[in-house]
Amino acid sequence: MRVEYINPFVEAAFSILKEVLGDDLSRGELYLKATSQPILGVTAIVGLAGDVEGRVLIDLTEKTAMKIASAMNGEEMTTLNELAKATITELANMITAQAVTKLSELGFTFDLTPPTIITGEKMEITNYEVEALIVPIETSHGKLEINVALRERN
Amino acid sequence: MSAMIDEAIERQEEKQQKKIDFKMVTFSLAGRDYGIDIMKVDGISKIDKYTYVPNTYPFVKGVYNLRGDIISIIDMGKMFHIQQPAQAAKDDSKLENILIIKSCDLKIGVIVDSVDKVLGISRESMQDPPSLFGDINIKYISGVTEVDDRLYIILDTDKIFSEEEEKKAYQTESDEIDEHDSIETMDSQEESASPGINFIIETLNTFSRFHVSPVNRKWVEHRYDQWVEISQKRGQEPQLVDEADANEFLQTFFSRETHQLWSDEYREKMESILPAKMDGPLDVWNPGCGKGFESYSLACLLKRKYPENRIKVWANDSNLLEISMATNIVLQKAQIPAWINNGGFIQDGSGGKVFTKAVKDALYFEFHDIKHKNMVPNMNLIVARDLLSYLEPEGQKKVLDEFHGKLKSNGILVLGENESIEHPGFRAIEAEALSAYVKE
Repeated sequence: MRVEYINPFVEAAFSILKEVLGDDLSRGELYLKATSQPILGVTAIVGLAGDVEGRVLIDLTEKTAMKIASAMNGEEMTTLNELAKATITELANMITAQAVTKLSELGFTFDLTPPTIITGEKMEITNYEVEALIVPIETSHGKLEINVALRERN
Repeated sequence: MSAMIDEAIERQEEKQQKKIDFKMVTFSLAGRDYGIDIMKVDGISKIDKYTYVPNTYPFVKGVYNLRGDIISIIDMGKMFHIQQPAQAAKDDSKLENILIIKSCDLKIGVIVDSVDKVLGISRESMQDPPSLFGDINIKYISGVTEVDDRLYIILDTDKIFSEEEEKKAYQTESDEIDEHDSIETMDSQEESASPGINFIIETLNTFSRFHVSPVNRKWVEHRYDQWVEISQKRGQEPQLVDEADANEFLQTFFSRETHQLWSDEYREKMESILPAKMDGPLDVWNPGCGKGFESYSLACLLKRKYPENRIKVWANDSNLLEISMATNIVLQKAQIPAWINNGGFIQDGSGGKVFTKAVKDALYFEFHDIKHKNMVPNMNLIVARDLLSYLEPEGQKKVLDEFHGKLKSNGILVLGENESIEHPGFRAIEAEALSAYVKE
């Protein structure tokens, strides 16, 4: 992962989560993964295309997703309904969009795909020929992981 | 890079700085792991036949001549009534593993199933033995510790052997006198290793993640001899107690001009191994680039030597903090050697001198772990100084194969000054202060 790409994603994730949840966040240690990795249960994906291509995942458990959706909507949700899913999708969109804005200020151009949300148990995600950067973030509602895999288009 | 990352990295470092203040030699006996304080261990040996002494305790197997010293050989299993799993008829020609223990001015050889390794642990991680321990009488145990999911029982050899000396009542549970009637021989094969260097090897790995392997063994052995001298002068044991010690031990390992831009002298040495002319675009791989001094030096050197060619340096490191600083490096005048300063590679920036856009555009810094899949094109030159020593032997082989695969024919590989390889397909190049190879 090119060094210049890292910070925009870290900062965007942090500032957006702080804005929407308004509470104390802490960030775990960033690390790289190259092999298949299990995903937690609710995953929003935003694809990137352009000079640089890849995808950004926001990965969290169903419980955390409901808590975050409840907090963002200001109402208690007990099931992962359409509104909750739409909220998480929007969260992914906001984080990716802000990161991409920062990157385009640095001269990298991207296009985004519409976000997709995937839910289910025992899922794994595998990237071929690209390493994924994991940014773990701890919130008062639970843990979520921003998982970014990008590469230069040859 | 943001302060948040620094914080995270510091946290991680703190975790690793567990103090090692107790070292033990570990061995297995009847399928269990035991440890003995390394200070009590005089050596490790393999012996085959020892002299049987009549009318002794059943656990005394006999005496043995170890390089002129007569030592008693004790069967720890029998002494503590440890049931050996149904043993196949003992093969007389088999060598026995012996741990030689110093205790109360005595040297005693203890037969064990196999000697495992030297382990460094922190005394804090040692726990008192649970009172229900079966096999060995609890007073002989100084503690229990768990390392890598293995439970080690740490024996107190002083207690064990002093009691033996005092001949405290030892009730022979069975009158079975050992049937073995080995005839004494003097021509036994023996091999003995000083536990000192093995412990150093272990601690280098623990504290600095430095792997001793054929790549650097020559240097480590040489350095160990120096280290013994240094320690003697200081009146210390030649061991590495903490990370600071490990770093001091490794101080002379690193290639010259590691955390700085290369001097004119070093540039000349590096240029001497490169061909006078190269065709087409030049791709250079610089894994383990750290803060990037090496990568910038390389980019400037190549731009100077091959002004006609397009140069691209693919630099990567798995240390996020260091590589984050590489992209926007700001230098003070004193850090910049004349050949770079006068070569048109430097301009004024905010807070100091920076590299020109042309140099920066030739560099591509990536946060990347070389053990993962490497997505780089084929290379003319690979500079990986002091990288292999920080990979596990398996990783080393994989990375070397990858280097070989990624190099164009006649491509050049530069390793650390104190590293050397024997790898099919690479031929060493004679060069001063460099360890370089050409792909055949």
